[in-house]
Amino acid sequence: MAEDLLFIEPDENLSAALSVYIRRQQFDVRTAGTADAAHEHLKNHIPDVVLANPGLPDDEGTRFLLDFKSKHAEIPLILLTDPGNLESAMEVFGAKIDDYLQKPVKSIALDISLQHARQNLRLARKFSRYARQLEDLHEAHNLYHQLFDEVPCYISVQDRQFRLTATNRLFKRDFGNEVGDFCYKIYKHRDAPCPECPVAKTFEDGRRHQAEEVVTSRHGRQYNVMTWTAPIINEHGEISQVMEMATNITQVRRLQDHLTSLGLMLGSMSHGVKGMMTALDGGVYQLETGIRNGDAERIQHSYERIADTSSRIRKMVLDILYYAKSRGMQYQTTDAARLAKSLADAAGEMAGKQGVGFHTDIAADAGEFEVDPDWFYQAVLNFLENAVDACLMDPDKPQHRIDFTVVSQDADTVRLEIADNGIGMDEEARRKMFTLFFSSKGSKGTGLGMYIANHIIAQHGGGIEVDSVYGRGTRVKIRVPRHRTEAARAIDSLLDSNTGAENGKKGFH
Amino acid sequence: MQGNARVSLPPGKYHIKEKERVMSKKIMVIDDDPAVVEYLTTLFEDNGYETCSAKDALEGIDIAKQEKPDLITLDLEMPGEWGPRFYRKLTEDPALKNIPVVVISGLSGHQYAINKAVASISKPFDRDELLRVVKENIL
Repeated sequence: MAEDLLFIEPDENLSAALSVYIRRQQFDVRTAGTADAAHEHLKNHIPDVVLANPGLPDDEGTRFLLDFKSKHAEIPLILLTDPGNLESAMEVFGAKIDDYLQKPVKSIALDISLQHARQNLRLARKFSRYARQLEDLHEAHNLYHQLFDEVPCYISVQDRQFRLTATNRLFKRDFGNEVGDFCYKIYKHRDAPCPECPVAKTFEDGRRHQAEEVVTSRHGRQYNVMTWTAPIINEHGEISQVMEMATNITQVRRLQDHLTSLGLMLGSMSHGVKGMMTALDGGVYQLETGIRNGDAERIQHSYERIADTSSRIRKMVLDILYYAKSRGMQYQTTDAARLAKSLADAAGEMAGKQGVGFHTDIAADAGEFEVDPDWFYQAVLNFLENAVDACLMDPDKPQHRIDFTVVSQDADTVRLEIADNGIGMDEEARRKMFTLFFSSKGSKGTGLGMYIANHIIAQHGGGIEVDSVYGRGTRVKIRVPRHRTEAARAIDSLLDSNTGAENGKKGFH
Repeated sequence: MQGNARVSLPPGKYHIKEKERVMSKKIMVIDDDPAVVEYLTTLFEDNGYETCSAKDALEGIDIAKQEKPDLITLDLEMPGEWGPRFYRKLTEDPALKNIPVVVISGLSGHQYAINKAVASISKPFDRDELLRVVKENIL
């Protein structure tokens, strides 16, 4: 590649002669005899090398060259001084100049000087190219690091012992900062590697692997994640590390579970629904025949039958609705005794109709607690209804009674107790009582009531304790905190963000 | 409400003449839902049959022995003993094994549960169809 050389020399003859020589050294040469002419050249084109005599007409040479060097420090500048001017030129220009020559110039001196200039020029170009590449590299590195951090997945890089050697921001947020700990410990709180580990498989065969896992965050939350692995190959072509990328699919799984159990529920419930429709048919039949025959007693009876059946249907539909659409809780500071009294009224009437004694002990100073009155009422009513049913199912005792107690356990807790001397539960039924679709009531039960009641109490941060002996009776203790715990609030806001809080609200009785 | 006691409804008006009543056939209703038991017994009584009922299979065997019904309607899903097991017990008793059984159930696919049942009817059922099936099959 030929470099451009600008040759500034007032002596035209010398300029022409030297130009020929320099061209032979593979330079494209342009010449200028004055500072003005040199300016004109620079406007159009910046040369690779400048060879100049500072002794220009009008004494412009020194100023022009200093100016040029200050703007283009990287361009080699060789001075060619008139005889006797070398030292004064050196005093003026000093180390700013790459090389000094003095007329009459020897060809070997000019050759060496030009070669130096060319070498310097090439080094400078290489250097600036490297600098640019380094800068690009730095930018790319930053970009990749940013990508690594910002990808909405958990990314970790692991060595053969499954130690984490790098993790991204999301990973750090949910699983902590510790680099160097074991993957199985951080993700699954295990003491040994997991069976069927996709990272181990990738170390073995160098391929990508995929697995679905359930992991536990440092806050104790469980996430379903879909993980992919990829090998990281070192300069020797060996797999030195494996990258694992895990996408959180908890919400998808939750939705799937919900849909599955919804389907299951519809299946198991259709039997109950059909039974109730048959019972309703029976009421309508009695009403129809009663009216046709003018039988007031039968009409009255049919009314009771229809009312009873329709309330059963109503309850079942409400249960289904609760389950099908989990509405956000709407908490209110509520007077425990007042809520308990309205519960006692409803349950007392139900028990009375069936000849079951209903006794209440509601402490007036039970105090206030923070609950969703609608749902809390429904949850406790489910336990009270179960108590009535348990009494009806017990054939042995001559007298049945239910005791409903509400007291202030302490400054932080309200306690509700429902005790009955009904049929009771054996160990198995007691263990399964809160399981979805478990029912001990035959076609009368949907298997939803206790599941929902338990769910509601748990959402309030409360606890349920059940003592039961088959043939003797059941005692249910419900403890509810007066104020919702931070954890309960957190779970709630999580549920709200999933389902969207709903505003429709009905008052409790 | 539950058990074998006949549902207390005003008698007379719906019953056919006294003379024929002596000859009337007896139907036993087995269902754990008292509302359904009441519906079926009322319907059958209104149509000239005598009735008895049981709320579960265990009770059903004892009552069947006592009452010797001419036909049994059986719900399939009940607490305690499940319908098909009740049916097996019934057929093991020589005195009871010839009583025709009509399955009345809300379970889907119930027609396969008891293949010796003379008929299977789904809840909710058509009254006329039930009465026709009973009439055709009663001994």
